[in-house]
This record gives sequence, structure tokens and C-alpha cells, in this order.
Amino acid sequence: MSTSPEITNSVILSTEMFIALSPILLLSFGIVLSLLLIAWRRSQKMIALFTQFILVITLLLTIHLLSGDILVGSGTQITTLLNVDRFSYLSFVLICISAFVVVSLSRSVLKSEVEVHDEYYLLILLVVLGAGILVVSDHFASLFLGFEVLSISLVGLVGYFREHEHAVETGFKYLILSATASSFMLLGIAFIYSQTGNLSFAVSSNVMPWSAQPLQIFNSVGILLLFSGIAFKLSLAPFHFWSPDIYQGSPTPITLLMATVSKVAMFTVLIKCCFSQNYFNNESFIEIITVVALLSMLVGNILALKQQNIKRLMAYSSIAHFGYLLIVLTVSSLQNTEFAWQGALFYLSAYLLANIAIFTVLLISEKHRDNMSGDRDIHIVDWHGMFWKNRLSAVLVIFSVLALAGIPLTMGFVGKFYLLNQAVIFKSWWLISGLVIGSGIGLAYYLPLIFALFKDEKTLENQVVDGSGVYLVTTGKQLFMFTLLISSLLFGIFPDLVSQFIYR
Amino acid sequence: MMLTFVILGLLLSGSLAWYSDDKPFFGVRFQAKWVALVAVIIFSLIFVFSVYLSPLNFQTLQTIAHVSWINSLNINYTLALDHLSITLIMLTLFLALICILVSWDEIQEKSGFYYFNLLATFAGIIGVFSAVDMFLFFFFWEVMLLPMTALIAIWGHEKRYFAAIKFFIFTQVSSLLMLVAIIAMAYIHQQQVGDLSFSYQDWLSLELNNELALYLMLGFFIAFAVKLPSVPFHSWLPDAHTQAPTAGSVLLAGVLLKTGAYGLIRFVIQLFPQASENFAPIAVTLGVVSILYGAKMAFAQTDFKRLVAYSSISHMGFVMLALFSFNEIAYQGVIVTIVAHGLSSAALFSLAGMIYQRIHSRNLTDMGGFWQSAPRMGGFGLAFAAAAFGLPGLANFVGEFLSLVGAYQVFPVMVILAAFGLIGSAIYGMVLFQKTFQGSSLKTVPDLSCRELIVSSSLLMLLVILGLYPNLLLQYFRGVIL
Repeated sequence: MSTSPEITNSVILSTEMFIALSPILLLSFGIVLSLLLIAWRRSQKMIALFTQFILVITLLLTIHLLSGDILVGSGTQITTLLNVDRFSYLSFVLICISAFVVVSLSRSVLKSEVEVHDEYYLLILLVVLGAGILVVSDHFASLFLGFEVLSISLVGLVGYFREHEHAVETGFKYLILSATASSFMLLGIAFIYSQTGNLSFAVSSNVMPWSAQPLQIFNSVGILLLFSGIAFKLSLAPFHFWSPDIYQGSPTPITLLMATVSKVAMFTVLIKCCFSQNYFNNESFIEIITVVALLSMLVGNILALKQQNIKRLMAYSSIAHFGYLLIVLTVSSLQNTEFAWQGALFYLSAYLLANIAIFTVLLISEKHRDNMSGDRDIHIVDWHGMFWKNRLSAVLVIFSVLALAGIPLTMGFVGKFYLLNQAVIFKSWWLISGLVIGSGIGLAYYLPLIFALFKDEKTLENQVVDGSGVYLVTTGKQLFMFTLLISSLLFGIFPDLVSQFIYR
Repeated sequence: MMLTFVILGLLLSGSLAWYSDDKPFFGVRFQAKWVALVAVIIFSLIFVFSVYLSPLNFQTLQTIAHVSWINSLNINYTLALDHLSITLIMLTLFLALICILVSWDEIQEKSGFYYFNLLATFAGIIGVFSAVDMFLFFFFWEVMLLPMTALIAIWGHEKRYFAAIKFFIFTQVSSLLMLVAIIAMAYIHQQQVGDLSFSYQDWLSLELNNELALYLMLGFFIAFAVKLPSVPFHSWLPDAHTQAPTAGSVLLAGVLLKTGAYGLIRFVIQLFPQASENFAPIAVTLGVVSILYGAKMAFAQTDFKRLVAYSSISHMGFVMLALFSFNEIAYQGVIVTIVAHGLSSAALFSLAGMIYQRIHSRNLTDMGGFWQSAPRMGGFGLAFAAAAFGLPGLANFVGEFLSLVGAYQVFPVMVILAAFGLIGSAIYGMVLFQKTFQGSSLKTVPDLSCRELIVSSSLLMLLVILGLYPNLLLQYFRGVIL
């Protein structure tokens, strides 16, 4: 990398770059430290606390950098491999928040098992590192690096509870499919390189292949393969088959990790890659995006209709949501990328909050189920009557589901509003129709989920009498759920609070 | 700020009702219904007095609250009132009282949450009638749906979940179309004037070419036609009405359908005058089809509430027919029809609720001969049925008459067809009355209680007053040219 023409001075990493990259460096340092910690003393409590500590520090550092003016403008280029800008760190903030929640939720899951789970926390940190590399990457090599760090650590996590029924199946499925996807992506990158001779995202204008000459076959195949690799991770429509099984089979915190951290990071890098490579000038690329988006909206929503298992339902709904999100890729010129980023980040935060909320409640009811023994999977039936028994959890679920459905008062609506704005500006009527129809179908499974919380059946009333129908929710969790609820309401009613932070 | 106060007040007193239900304070056991009733009375009085004492001339839209909300998109919290919105808000507040009174004994379970939802719906509806920032309008438009859906889904009858989902999906999908049109209008404003604006008043000055205006108008039109409802989009209504609890049906028929009419008047016709004029033949045809189809279907029903629901479709057809005739008399007819239908359908649904409480059935075959045991109920039933089929002397007659007279000048053939709907309404009105109150007495039912008497007589009184002296309402709508 030192031979790259952009870097003329002999210093590879100047102080400014070091500061800009510090959250990720800190995270890597933290990983090394936690390895040492494991070598020193194996303690479940200690490693969990330490992981949380690292994540919080990283989060605070990132927020500090964001509130400073080091990241204004086009960001800081760190060698050819990485480029740190506001948007990448904003999504890194989302990633850290969600990883923190995952770690906190995991503590209660892992408590019930006998072993000491150092690797588990280490792997989560590695996932976050991979995601961090992805969001700041500006080069196909760093993209691949981040992708692999993320995937391989996730494989370990997905099958972590090996004695569980689906663990081995899930782990293998994810390993094989993920490896296939990354090899597709690598092939795509190779094809692109064969045409452009450049692996950096930031193509200088004289070698920009899109506007200058007609698209060569290798190049388009390359982009297609690259996109399919990313689409696999985002579980977009023709590449979505893995996601419900793996959502269902993974431990719940890990499902949350996959639904949020991995997807947010992959989507951020996809936007970064598309915007700096100017893919939006290429009509056939936009066509492919449109088709994949429409397919995802329809397939995700339609397949979710009959789902009774809440994890599977969330998997399908997430397919649809990333279908909606693809709308931001159809910008028409570089000037509009600001707005696209704003929309994407807002939508991602809404999606993230809603997912965190739903999975938190899911985990609580799973724990409750564990105590009562029996089938591990939580179905919609298990949530019947929750509103009358656990007001807080139920209200949280209601608001999150409404956010996913895009109903006002929630962040999800504002996110959808941004996407519609974007689609209207670029007159992508197909995508608009897809969004409208998709949301309509979506309601047909979101609403029954909400109604289920109100359903009040005789059998459940008996449970209340026994006292076993009421979940035991710790004060900490209650506080956390309350925060989630307040923040999603607040940001839903006053979206400026978030968008000011994004814009500045 | 008075209106904001009313909206927020309703919402907060709803929460108070929810919180305080069945809890003792200072030795007194609070009941949600009392909290709700007192709140609605207080806020209605506040609203009436502040409008009455206001120095503003409500002949045109008067902005009464303006606070910036989402700066990055130039979205403001703007409320404005004119005579149209004031009339509809008064109707809403009046029916709010009726709704609370009819649910007085009906709702026994989870009553705190029930009254919260009821008051939240009113708050949302008042917001819809007064918001002039389109984002805000959409916000209220959706927010009023949520508690309404909850009312149907939690306290409704046997097929309530299905009805609630159908209701929600219909309105949500159509309103998304409206949202797209709203966003498109905002960007057209940006193109023409230079800045993004969601303000209704700003949009009035936009120049739109015909084709674009047609598509945008359709976005709004479909959303409002679903709410109205007009024929191809009506199928949610019979289900929702039938399955909702009594107050829910009163609310749906009395006020929620009026948001559709209001939207057509305020937004479709005024924002896109040319496009709606071009579209008028289709809209008028839809109106006439609704009138005839609604009347025909009403006649075929055996379910009391379903019958009234179909009659609503028929009556709202008159609104659509008259509105798209662009005629002053027809417009006055629309206003009277809106108010009169609000009162008469509310009355019929309350009656259905009263009967349901007595015999636990909505089926007309289970009814009959109630006159003998409950003559007062029968009398009111006859009067309300008469109002529904437009007996002179009651408000509905004035509305339908004016609508038809006005529209005749523009669409004579359509009006002649629509007039057959009046015959249909007489048939279903009489069927309803006869099957319920006449014939051999199957059951003896207790006559109206004091509370039910208040509900029925106040509704009937208003119907008679407006029927005999419609000027009370019409004086505010003179010289309005669409």
C-alpha cells in the first residue's frame, strides 16, 4: 500500500489519521486485552463486564469524534484502504449500541449454562471489529477483510450452543453459504480489477468506466457477483433462503447480532461502494437494484404472512426492510448522496431500535419458557395476552412492530417518509409501488402480531392465577426497555433530534 | 393554541382515564367513564366558547397555531380553522358525548384502556379536521386509525380481528398513496418556488400541468374515497361497522367517514380544481353507483348494523355526487348531508347497541314486536329510520334535496338515477323498522333507560332542528364557490 500514488509523504499513519481511526484501533486493542484477560483468569463475569466496557469506550470515543470537526467533509483517507467519514462512524455508533445490547442480553442466556464462555464474548468483539472495518473500508481488499472477519466469527457464534437442536445444522448452513457468498464476491472483485486495474472505491475520474465507455461484460459480471455477495449477507430476495433457518437456529442474542450489526455494516459498505464508484450512473445496475428491491419487498412480506414463529417472522420482515432500503441506492447524482445517507441512516436506526426491542422481549419470554421447560421456540401464541400481564413489554413490542410497519409516532414512519422522498425525487415509480404494496401486505402480519398481545384467553387467565403467566423482568431490563420505548417515541415525534446529528 | 390545548387535553384526559380507572382517590373510586365524560364536556365547552368569542373571520382559513417542527424538511405544526372544520369538529365533540354515553354500560372489561382509545381517536380526528400542514395532516390521519383499530379489535364482536385488519389495511395502503402525492407536491413546490413546503396554503398557488395534476389528485382521491367510502373501495366498511362495539360504529359512521368527505372538499377539489373537474364524470358515476348499490345491499341484509352500514355507503354517495357537481347549492347539500348523516347513522347505531344489549343479537330475524314492550324505543326507531330515508322535516331530507337540486343542473341523468336511491332508502328504512319493532312479539325487552333517552332525544332534537331550520348551518356556507 505504500506504493500507492495518493500517499506521497513517508508517514503512512499521521496523527490525524490515527485519531480518526482510534475507535477501531481501540476495539482491536481491547480484543487483545481480553485475550490476555482470558489467559490470566477465566471468569464469566469479568469477561462480560470487560467486553461491555470496551464497547462503551469505543462508542463514546466514536461519538466524541463525531461531535468534533475532524470528520467533516469527505472524511479522512487512511492509506488507500480506509476512509473514515461521518456516515461510516454514524453507522458504527449503531453497531456499537446494538453489540452492547447483545452482550448485555447474552449474560442472562449464558448464565444458565455451565461452561465459561470467554470465546463467545471474544467472537462478538471480533464481529464488531469486522463490522467496523467494513464501515470504514474504501477498498475492495478491506471490504473483503471485514467481510471475512465478520462472517467467520459469526459462524462460531451461530452454532455456539452445540447441544441445542438446530445448532449444528445452523452453523454448517451458515458456514457453507457464507463461504460461497464470499467466494462469489471475491470472483466479482477479481473481474472488476481485470477491467479497471484498481481496487480502490474512490475511482479517479479518468479511469471511471461507467460514463466513459460502454460497460464491458467482465465488469458487469463482476459488479453483479460483488452485489450478490453483499446481497447474501443482507438476505435480499433471491439470496434470502438461509435467513429464516439461521434466525431460528441461532441463540437469540446472536440472531439480534446478525439482524443488526452484520446487516447495518454490510449495507453501509454497499452504499459507500455504490456512491463512490458512481454505480448509479449505470442504468443496468439500477435496474438490477430495482428488481432485487421489488423481489425482496414482495417475497419477504408474502412469506412472512403465515409465519407463527416470531424469529422466522422477523427474518422475513427484515428481508422486506432491506428491500425498502435499497431505494436509497437509486440516487441520480452525487449531490443527492447526502440526503440518501440521511435517509438510510435514519431507516437503519429505526430498524435497529425496533429489532433490539423485539428481540429483548423475545429473550425474556424465552427465558420464561426455559424455566417452564418445553419447546424453545417462541410462537405468536406464546405472546397472547401479554398486554394485560406485562404492560411494559407489550407496549414496547407494539411500538416496535408499528415502527416496522411504518406507522406515524414511530421512527419507522419517518424512515419510510425519507425513503419515499428519495423515491419521489428520482421518480422511481416501480419502487414506490413496491413500497406501498409491500407495506400493505406487511400490515397483514404485523397487525395480527399486535392483536395477539391483546388476545385474552381463558387458559391464559388461569396461568395468571398460578403466577406462572407473569414474566419476571428484572429492574435493569425494565429500565432498559423503558429507555428504548421513550427514545423510539421521542425520535419518532421529533426526528430532527436524529437528523441534526446526521447532518450537522 | 386553544385547539392544541383541546387535542392534547383529550389525549391526556384519556391517559388519566386509563390510569385512574378503578383506583380509589381520597376515598372515591374513580371510573374511567366519568373522567372521559367530564373531559369531553369541558373541552367541548372550551372549544365552543373560544370559537364563539374569537375575533377571527372563519369564512376563510384562519391559522391559529404555527410552530416549526421538522426543520430539515420545512415541516411545521400548523393548525387552521374555517367554518367547515369548525362544523365538523363540533359534530365530532357532540358525537364524542354520544359515544361515551352509549358505552356507559356496554363496556365492562378493560374500560380504562377503552376510554383512552376513544378519547385518543377524538383527538386524532380533531387534528385531521384542523391540520393544514400536510405532513401533520397525514400524521393525524394515521394516528386516529390506531386507537380506532384497537377499539374494533379488542372490544368488537366475534370476527373483530379480521374486521380490524381489513379496516387498517384498506386505509393504510390508500393513505400511503396519498403520502406519495403529498411528497410529490412538496417537491413540485420546491421546483416552482424554491423551497420545500408541506403547507396547504402554499400549495394552493402551485401551477400544475393537467396530467401530473390528475395523478396527484388520484393519490388524494383514492385515500379519501376509501374513507368515504365510495363503491370500489367500500368493502371494509360493512365488516368494520358490524364488528365494532356500539361506540366504535357510532364513531366510524358519524365522524370517521366524514374525514373522507372533508378531505375531498378541502384537498382534492381545492388543490386540483381543474383535474377534479375533468375527473368529475367518473367521480359522479362512482357516487351514483354507491347510492344505488348501497341501497340495494342494505335491503338484502339481515344484520341490523350491516344494514345501517350499507345505508351509509348509499348516503355518502350523495356527498360524492354533489361535491363533484361544483355547484353552490349542491355544496350546501353536502354540508347538511354530512352533519345529518353523522347524526342519523349515529342514532341508528346507538339503537342497534341498545337492542344488542337487550337481546345479544344483531340479527333482524331475532327481533320483532319490540314496539309492544318498548314503545319509546320504537318511537325513536321510527324517527331515526325516517331520518335515514329522508323524511321531510328531518335534516337528511334537506341535505339530499339540496344535493340533488344542485347536481341536477350539471348532471341531470345521473341525478335522476340517484333519485331511485331515495326509493331504495325508503324500502330498507321500512324493512329495518318493521322487522325490529313490528310483527309478532318474540321477546319482551325493557324500554329505554334514562341515559338512553338522553342519547336518543338529543340526537333526534338536532335532526329536527336542522331539518326545520337548516339555515342554522347554511348561513356559514353561503357564497362558497368551488
